[in-house]
Amino acid sequence: MSASDKHTTHFGYQDVPVEEKASRVADVFHSVAARYDVMNDLMSMGIHRLWKRLTIERSGVRPGHSVLDIAGGTGDLTAKFSRMVGPRGRVVLADINASMLRVGRDKLIDNGVNANVDYVQANAECLPFPDNSFDCITIAFGLRNVTDKEAALRSMTRVLKPGGRLLVLEFSKPNNPLFSKVYDEYSFRLLPKIGELVANDGDSYRYLAESIRMHPDQETLRTMMEEAGLERVEYTNLTGGVVALHRGIKL
Amino acid sequence: MALSPTLMLAGLERTLNALLARDPAAPSRLARMAGQRILLRLERPSLGLIVHFHPAGLDLMRADDTAEADVDAVVEADAETLGELLGGAAMERLMFQGKLAVRGRTHLLEATRDLLFDLDLDWEAELAGWLGDIPAHSLAEGLRSLSRWGLRTRQELCADVGEYVFEEARLLPGRHQLEALRDHLTEVEIATDRLEARLARLRRRLAEPETAP
Repeated sequence: MSASDKHTTHFGYQDVPVEEKASRVADVFHSVAARYDVMNDLMSMGIHRLWKRLTIERSGVRPGHSVLDIAGGTGDLTAKFSRMVGPRGRVVLADINASMLRVGRDKLIDNGVNANVDYVQANAECLPFPDNSFDCITIAFGLRNVTDKEAALRSMTRVLKPGGRLLVLEFSKPNNPLFSKVYDEYSFRLLPKIGELVANDGDSYRYLAESIRMHPDQETLRTMMEEAGLERVEYTNLTGGVVALHRGIKL
Repeated sequence: MALSPTLMLAGLERTLNALLARDPAAPSRLARMAGQRILLRLERPSLGLIVHFHPAGLDLMRADDTAEADVDAVVEADAETLGELLGGAAMERLMFQGKLAVRGRTHLLEATRDLLFDLDLDWEAELAGWLGDIPAHSLAEGLRSLSRWGLRTRQELCADVGEYVFEEARLLPGRHQLEALRDHLTEVEIATDRLEARLARLRRRLAEPETAP
């Protein structure tokens, strides 16, 4: 790592000062929060529901557990976790972005999910929870936007109970070169168009496509998770590697 | 593909929940079962499935590495036995035959069967939601009288065909004739048996004179 890297970080394909990334990511999500769910369905053609479903299956959450859903956005995972942990359990929906958290909270309350869910606006790099406090932590499509991913992984490992699991669902690198080409065309040309038409915000979706390309690939992320102190780290490629689900256990 | 079983489960879950939502008896049953989990293990094909009940329906999940202590009941069976169980065979009988293993709260399995197979869909109310009360009612009445007519027609057809075959064309014997024939055949059978016994006795007598005094 050179000296200049310490002061800038990537924001999509641009380099921005480290202290600026968080606020620029925040701007992106402030602008998409209202239409986030519709756009997710449109962009992934509904497959994101299956990705999240698989994450829940792999989480091994059972009644009485406490679960932390970081970057939980509009609460898709939280809704189901809340049902699974039951009245004795607890789910914390954390997001760094107030707009997303507000949309998520409203949506969950509208769906009758309330009793065992807490909402916390928190930065994943320095989670405001005591050590060893969660049985399961999930971060779905959020790690990409964190400025210091290593710090975030360390912080998540810290608040995880021994034996607890961290699940990272995130965009990754497709493993088939031909499919990768199609995917590039789709995400750089079609995606910003859809973003412009539906959410009236092409730039945010251009950032999305770029940030996906800058995110570490499957093996790199696995190494990062191991360095953060997690063990038995394994990953599953979904939809040809467009998305990968990493799972690590704190022992 | 890692996602196809997930897709199938999602589809199944959605269908079941949609059906349960239309059954007036389901909410009270679900309320009793809410929060409980069944682990269903099939031996052939090897498959683990967790059913988690909640007040609005059920969640289906694949069970990759779930410990048995995490669930309220564990059911182990093969696909054939599961078919029998769902077909209404008594749970106790299957358990005694050793085809079905249930551990934990066994009554949960029966409750599940009641929940899924006593579905009494109020489809007329569902139609009313789409068409309005009066059209839905007349449509439902129409369908009901159609089904009654269908049943009656089927019975009449069976009776008519029977009458033709037995009485008019005499292609097949009727039940009374069949019974008379069977009685006669039984008499013939007994008579031949007696005759056989008598012949055997005569044969013995013919073989005996030398020894007789």
